[in-house]
Amino acid sequence: MQAGGVDTTSLLYIASFAVMIAFMFYGTRFQVYMALNDIGRGLNRLKIMKDKSRKEAIDYLVNVGKAPKDPTERVDQFLDYVTIMPVDIDPQGLVGKIDHVMTTNNDRVRAEVTNLLAPVNQVAVSQTGPVTVTQVNPVTVSISENLLEVASSLNLIHKIVRHYYLLGKKTNSYFTLIQLQMIMPMIIQEADALLNAVDSFKVGQPIGDGIGASIAARFMVGKEKRVVAKDTVMAISEYKGRKLYVLKAEGPMGYVGQPGLAIKKVVDEMGVKPTAIIMIDAALKLEGEKTGEIAEGVGAAIGGIGVEKFEIEEVATKQKVPLYAILVKQSILEAITVMRKEIAEASDKVVQVLNRVIEEKTKEGDDVVIAGIGNTLGVAQ
Amino acid sequence: MMSSVPGTDKKSKLLVYTIEECPVCGQKTKRAFQVGDYITKESAKCTKCGNTTRINLVYAEPAKPPNSR
Repeated sequence: MQAGGVDTTSLLYIASFAVMIAFMFYGTRFQVYMALNDIGRGLNRLKIMKDKSRKEAIDYLVNVGKAPKDPTERVDQFLDYVTIMPVDIDPQGLVGKIDHVMTTNNDRVRAEVTNLLAPVNQVAVSQTGPVTVTQVNPVTVSISENLLEVASSLNLIHKIVRHYYLLGKKTNSYFTLIQLQMIMPMIIQEADALLNAVDSFKVGQPIGDGIGASIAARFMVGKEKRVVAKDTVMAISEYKGRKLYVLKAEGPMGYVGQPGLAIKKVVDEMGVKPTAIIMIDAALKLEGEKTGEIAEGVGAAIGGIGVEKFEIEEVATKQKVPLYAILVKQSILEAITVMRKEIAEASDKVVQVLNRVIEEKTKEGDDVVIAGIGNTLGVAQ
Repeated sequence: MMSSVPGTDKKSKLLVYTIEECPVCGQKTKRAFQVGDYITKESAKCTKCGNTTRINLVYAEPAKPPNSR
């Protein structure tokens, strides 16, 4: 086609050729620009989430915990609190060191949160009858701890993403930015799950992760409970001639307890010789798996940093006790937010599986340890 | 280029319920969750046999969408 003596087809050909050459030299810059925009949007969302969780934690401390002083400054200090992991170039005794560091951290956090809140009058049962004691409500303390943990995690996620965003921008590093851009959807999803958890924590609703604890609680109702490790209780029950030592974290506080130490104490100090240790826990499902599906297996069904798992595996190996696991599948969002119907309704099926495992793997007169693992918020015993 | 950052989710609203079960006659009652409810907590009297019920489950389910006819 000719237009005023100029060949338009040739013009278009030259233009597309020019664009191609421009992309050859500046294509990466263009992609960097797009990635920066994309990550910047995600970073803004993370900032909003981080600020919201911080505000929710402060509001809870003020409105529910009746903090006598403005807790804002202490909360901000808490958010930047770091836990330095022990050196691992010499792995000998590493688990004990990690346990020590984590215990120190947990004790310090609880002591600081307790100091932030106002004590209230509570009725406690003593040998002489009901007495009024003035103390900080342990449920409020545990919820505050959980809320601060969420705010701290979101703060850390935001900081790390911001670090790589600014580093990529400063150095114009294409690969740093593209990698960050690729994992951004997963980061946002995880941050979203954490923020959603705040609503459940605030009102003390059981969360999906508490399914193991809620099943253990069924065996403990009406039985005498004793504290066997920090925040961990045990009750003795019976099923078809077997003696059941049932363990869970102490609820309805949002604790996970120390099931590793508790099982160790039951076996080593109380002299119980279990024929089986059965652990019930929530497990992260893979995409495509159904929420509330039950999986059986062997091994120590427990997450976390690995200290509890190590202790359970050690005691089981030393005493040659088989470890059985019953898992309830759920997503990360379902695990840390209010328990979904599908998960709650799986508990009857889990009890059936548990009874079958006890019947198949043990015989009358045997001792069996049952551990309900997970955050026991909203689940007493 | 498509954005890789997911937009704000329009999540379906969840309603939280408390299930009370009578340990004697087994009757189950479903009611809205109230702050202070927890699993194993003793709750209201059973409407069938008058015994004290116990909270058995607390769970959330999506609110049913209004009929769009």
